[in-house]
Amino acid sequence: MTRADRTQLLIGVAALAALIAVPFLTDSRYIVGQVLLGLFYAAIASQWNLLFGFAGVFSLAQMALFGFGGYVAAMLCFYLGMSIWAAMPLAAFAAAGFGLLLGLACLRLTGAYVALLTLAVAQAMYLLIVTDTECFMMIGTQCRQFTGGAVGFARFADLGTRELFGRDWLVANYALVVALFALVMAASWLIIRSPLGLAFQALRDNPGCAMARGVNRFQMQLYVFGFSAFLTGLAGAVYAAHFNAIGPGVLSLSTLLFVIAMVVVGGIGRLWGPLLGAVVLMGADEVLREFGEFRALGLGLIIAVSMVAMPNGLIGVLERLGALRARPKGEREAANG
Amino acid sequence: MDLIGSVVVAGLTTGALYALATLGLSLVWGALGMLNMAHGAMLTLGGYSAFVIVTRLGLPMPLGVLASCVTGAAAGAVIYLSVARPLLARAPETFETTIMIATFGVAVALENAILLVFGGQPFGQPVQIAGTLGAGGFTLPNQNLLIMVTAVLLMLAIAAFLKQTKGGRAIRAVAQNREAAELLGVPSGRVYLLALALSGGLAGICGLLVSSITQLSPTLGADPMLKAFIMCVVAGLGSIPGGIVASFGLALIESFVQYQFGARWGFPVLLGIVILVLIVRPSGLFGRNQVRRL
Repeated sequence: MTRADRTQLLIGVAALAALIAVPFLTDSRYIVGQVLLGLFYAAIASQWNLLFGFAGVFSLAQMALFGFGGYVAAMLCFYLGMSIWAAMPLAAFAAAGFGLLLGLACLRLTGAYVALLTLAVAQAMYLLIVTDTECFMMIGTQCRQFTGGAVGFARFADLGTRELFGRDWLVANYALVVALFALVMAASWLIIRSPLGLAFQALRDNPGCAMARGVNRFQMQLYVFGFSAFLTGLAGAVYAAHFNAIGPGVLSLSTLLFVIAMVVVGGIGRLWGPLLGAVVLMGADEVLREFGEFRALGLGLIIAVSMVAMPNGLIGVLERLGALRARPKGEREAANG
Repeated sequence: MDLIGSVVVAGLTTGALYALATLGLSLVWGALGMLNMAHGAMLTLGGYSAFVIVTRLGLPMPLGVLASCVTGAAAGAVIYLSVARPLLARAPETFETTIMIATFGVAVALENAILLVFGGQPFGQPVQIAGTLGAGGFTLPNQNLLIMVTAVLLMLAIAAFLKQTKGGRAIRAVAQNREAAELLGVPSGRVYLLALALSGGLAGICGLLVSSITQLSPTLGADPMLKAFIMCVVAGLGSIPGGIVASFGLALIESFVQYQFGARWGFPVLLGIVILVLIVRPSGLFGRNQVRRL
């Protein structure tokens, strides 16, 4: 285990300890709820970071995959009466399948083409769901669309936490989401350190050299795309289970923007960047909430400014500070002068 | 018969609009290798500028048209100076992706700034002409005719500019080979500024035209931009004539699909066609199969 690995592990353990401490430190259901929501965002952001920051694939279909997982879980429960516990892993596999198909269509291309095509697919999915008005079945006198239409699905899942834990159900759900987040981060870390991870990082850094050494770009990127789609879809399914609802709102551009902003602010290509970004942006969101209408404007500016001003995000800034301090004194003075 | 006629008219009109939006995007992609995600916001800005000049200030219509063009061009210049130039100077190798994220942020900020100033309710675009031309059951609204004529004139003007003038030759030179152009004394920074301002001006006029057949709203530019992306991908990014052909062709297909199967299927069918095209030709129908030096 190298020194860098130990640092990552240490940060992970510290973050996990802090997350476990939250419900013990506060009785406020609001705070626990917000931290839980932030964890969902951090999980999605970490997968976007895996794709873009580590594999160099610029996909804008992240929320589409998240929504796909959530919708599959919801529909399995709603139409087939399946238990949500069985539906969650199935939804993750379905999202991985969808991700692989999408990857097959898009990953033959590179760079901006991938971004455009994934954005178009995500937008098409959103528009098709929102404009769905055809009656699939009648519930009472109400018409129900197959995709749930503009309303989406609600009250389809029962995690059983309310029965088991009574008033503490939120804390039980919180524990589930912390477990999800830990799983997502651990899996990402393992994949980044695996031979596959080394291959896609080599492709990101120098595609020509990597391909000349026999690394198959399309195949490697397809694998990592499917892998991150699995975890993203799983997060979507847990999201649907926790809120007992899923609607087209998660597919909107502004949600995608929020996720990308977290990665950019935290640090692209840094394992813990998305978590730091999620903490900062959820905090900024609380502050901006006071000025409600300025929220989206502020977010847009935060993205543009941090992209220009700090290319490696807050983690990059911290690293640079650390590197400055680690240098011997004379050299530091030379660097400053 | 007149139904088919109006489907064709609708297709050609949207085709002209898509072609204008695509032209602006392609110009910047070709010159800088920059995908401007804020292009849609520049369209919106152009539409609202004309509205402010004509409806709010009561000035004559030609001034409104001028205002859309100037505001769009100014927005393009500001984007270059504040976002594109620093990113390009710092890390040219990651510019392709960093600029997408940064302009995405700019787009959201601009769109919401417009929402804050004007509110979400739609306005009518005052700059338009009324009346229709008709012959034997076939009608053509004057506004649609105006859109097509304007679009064609603008495209011809841009083509002439790129071919004949010094600035146009400089843009093409930088697009072909930036280093060689710089060595021969072409100031690439100023050329980039010119390309973005030109694309912004086009976007402003395009936004004005789009809003004249729909309505002014803060999200006005989003749909044309998404379609323009698709056209660019089909044609091959940076291929201007290809983009124009793709715009008209796909817009006609879209309006037939919408007429035949309902409005919601227009976009998914377009997307299906795009994916098929890309499977056969990954760099687009007219895209150069670029050999990149690594």
